[in-house]
Amino acid sequence: MSELLQDPFVQSSVLPLLAGLILVGALHLLRRSLAAAGIAAGFLVVFAMVIGLPALPPPSSMGKLFWASAVGLLLGAAADAAGVRGRVASAVLAVWLAASLLWIALPALDSAVAVVTLVILLGTAACVAFARGSETHGSEGGGSEGGGSPTAPAASLLALALAVGGTALIGSSASIAQMALALAASAGAFLLWNWPVERHGWGLSGRVATGIAVLLAAVLALFTQTQAAVLLLALPALLAGHVRRFLPQGDGLIGRAASAAAVTVVAVLPALVAIGAAYALTGGEASPY
Amino acid sequence: MKKTLFAAALFAATAIGAVAPAFAAPVSYKIDPAHTAVAFIVNHVAFSNVIGRFNTVGGDVTFDKDAVEKSVVNVTIDTASVDTNHAKRDEHLRSPDFFNAKEFPKMTFKSTKIEKTGDKTGKLHGDLTMLGVTKPVVLDITFNKDGVSPASKLETAGFSARGTVKRTDFGMKYGAPAIGDDIQLLIEVEAVKS
Repeated sequence: MSELLQDPFVQSSVLPLLAGLILVGALHLLRRSLAAAGIAAGFLVVFAMVIGLPALPPPSSMGKLFWASAVGLLLGAAADAAGVRGRVASAVLAVWLAASLLWIALPALDSAVAVVTLVILLGTAACVAFARGSETHGSEGGGSEGGGSPTAPAASLLALALAVGGTALIGSSASIAQMALALAASAGAFLLWNWPVERHGWGLSGRVATGIAVLLAAVLALFTQTQAAVLLLALPALLAGHVRRFLPQGDGLIGRAASAAAVTVVAVLPALVAIGAAYALTGGEASPY
Repeated sequence: MKKTLFAAALFAATAIGAVAPAFAAPVSYKIDPAHTAVAFIVNHVAFSNVIGRFNTVGGDVTFDKDAVEKSVVNVTIDTASVDTNHAKRDEHLRSPDFFNAKEFPKMTFKSTKIEKTGDKTGKLHGDLTMLGVTKPVVLDITFNKDGVSPASKLETAGFSARGTVKRTDFGMKYGAPAIGDDIQLLIEVEAVKS
């Protein structure tokens, strides 16, 4: 069993998928509006199991990523439990994400490229926090509560996390790759809970999980030699909610299931383009060594 | 009176001369990067042992030949200079998975104590700082030779050190224990009088 848990493939797919399924389900039972918090919770559990519980105060960017994510999870869960939404929720998310990015990035700001990278990351964070529809896009769908239909934003998160994970894997940063793929698997677990019937709201907890993908991208871009610029190609995945409006909305259970699957596939396409670009830039080397 | 003063002066000079070697001043040396190597051996999934080294090493040694225990060693290693003869692996070793070179560009060793165990051998105690974590380590050290190098014509001291550290003690947990936790260190140093 312990040998199985040591397997990097299990650590970044099966384990976080199971953790996500269990935690989303458990939080659903506790309070339905908290279900999306299961994504970040699943990510943190897998982080602690695979990389270990980082020290406090954390000496490295990965440790900061963990604790910043933990704070985000608490903020998201508290806001969703209290029913905080709208501009207040966006402001809370923006402050948390910007502070976390600055905390992580500070030791790496030794060049113009690093500063530009941070500005791009802060811009992405602002999109996650304030972009029209980031909280409620696709809200015309399903029977969810507390913050809109979850399929499109969860598909956006799945795509961003896959893009970070795939790019990191190609760029020889295995632990970032594993954690990003774990986040993607945890988002996948949430999507499974909401397919074919949407059961949960996305809320601030879901948006915090998307913020964690941005933090992972920050660690990858600022502390490794990976071709992280290709992640810009994955940003259109954030528009999944808008894309959904142009896709045919099916009637009945099968129609809704097909519609949700189509949104997910469309969202993941930019991530595949980004991973393809990273692969091409490394000269088509599939395995680092 | 003059005779007495002369005798006293002679005695004093002799006495000082006799004890002088015990108070011989420690000599400062600078590590010669051309003749210094910090190498490591790490087990790779039980199949083989990978050998690597750091190409940029600096530091200084204060060597007291007559009281080796009083010698001091300070070494600084650029973590980005890690070299295992494979570019992709070296890139991985510089990433946050291992040395996290961007965030922790230097690794340092500061000696705290030297114990003599034989004519030319000893135990070098010191603090190794890696990834922002400082832990005590002990290296087996051999004092090889000191004197004027026939090659450089400079006053030179040379020593070898061997030891083992656990990388997870420093928070470098990626891949352990499949990628070995125990790292064997092989250190060869030549230091030139500064």
